[in-house]
Amino acid sequence: MTRRVLSLLSLALALGAPTALRAQDARLDARLDARTRDAVVAVVDSARGAGIPSEPLVQKALEGASKHADGARILTAVRMLARELGDARSALGPTSSDAEVIAGASALHAGIAPAALSKMRASRAHGSLTVALAVLADLVARGVPGDTATTVISALTVAGAQDTELLRFQQGVEREIAQGATPAAALGVRAQGAFPTSPPRRTP
Amino acid sequence: MRQHDETGNTPLADETLERAVGELRRPLRVNAALFDARVMDEVLRAPSGVREHVERLLRPRTIRVSPLLALAAGMLFAVSVAGSILYVLPGRAPRGEGTSAERSVVARDAAGSPIVQFGFVAPHASSVALVGDFNNWDPKATPLHAASTGGVWSVEVPILPGRHLYAFVVDGTVWRPDPAAPQATGEDFGEPNSALTVADPGMR
Repeated sequence: MTRRVLSLLSLALALGAPTALRAQDARLDARLDARTRDAVVAVVDSARGAGIPSEPLVQKALEGASKHADGARILTAVRMLARELGDARSALGPTSSDAEVIAGASALHAGIAPAALSKMRASRAHGSLTVALAVLADLVARGVPGDTATTVISALTVAGAQDTELLRFQQGVEREIAQGATPAAALGVRAQGAFPTSPPRRTP
Repeated sequence: MRQHDETGNTPLADETLERAVGELRRPLRVNAALFDARVMDEVLRAPSGVREHVERLLRPRTIRVSPLLALAAGMLFAVSVAGSILYVLPGRAPRGEGTSAERSVVARDAAGSPIVQFGFVAPHASSVALVGDFNNWDPKATPLHAASTGGVWSVEVPILPGRHLYAFVVDGTVWRPDPAAPQATGEDFGEPNSALTVADPGMR
């Protein structure tokens, strides 16, 4: 009985895996020249083998193709993203979801230190960090200093802020910036609103 | 190169932020009687020319205004108030090419994925398409639909929770980021992307 189950599982894997690969190849086949496609597929396969989300790599290659980038630039971008996704996976831990790893990679690209990601993971071991990391990346991209953004978003996460509250917080900071505040001041004003009774404290 | 602690934060920046938040939070104490006395003291000590100006401003007087002038002033006030309200409402910025894009979760599809509404203003465009990592960056996959007036284009798309990159393609060739969304960092092949974070309704 056990042997039959294992055989069926092996068959399913053998049939399923190539189907997924063929589907990705078809997307890349249609948009990339053969040389670039082969190099991208190698990076994608390697990422998949290492437990790194591979779909963002395919999407990066397709983005480059749609924007008429040359093959070398597409390959460089895909390799860089693979590295960032791998670093994010290491920082966030093997049990992190693909969505968390993708958001973590964007935070790393924005200049956040890997140790900060690990710290945020430790502060929210069971809940999703996807939105917190995405908000962090977007705030830094908007010009908020990375260390202060990390402190405030970490404090909000530790305080149990929900995803919708984090998104509202980000929108508030963006509104302050649009009205003329410097990014750092905008974060300070909104942080004060988010912590009405006591200032955010760094966790030990 | 800034020194980071194990969280990736600079301790100095954190302390500065906390001090700033503490200062902002401290209530402003004003003794009304002392304040009035100090103001009057300053007025009395001011040069006589300044004192005369202040006294003239404080002296009650009757101002004669023609009904026509009063009506014009009232209309001007109403128009400026209405303009301010329209400006601060989300998605109601003054409209022109590429402004006033809106993104909001309007519903959920059968699988529970949030349906996000995208909007873009392009009065002179003959086509606008949405491209992103949710549709393989294919300019033919997700065309926006034009409203009958105002040059507003919109589309509703189911988007999986997580962080996504996207842009608009106007008239099949011109790439535009969403002016109402955070700009994404990372390799964008020379055409900036916007970032969209969709919260998972099942997650905190």
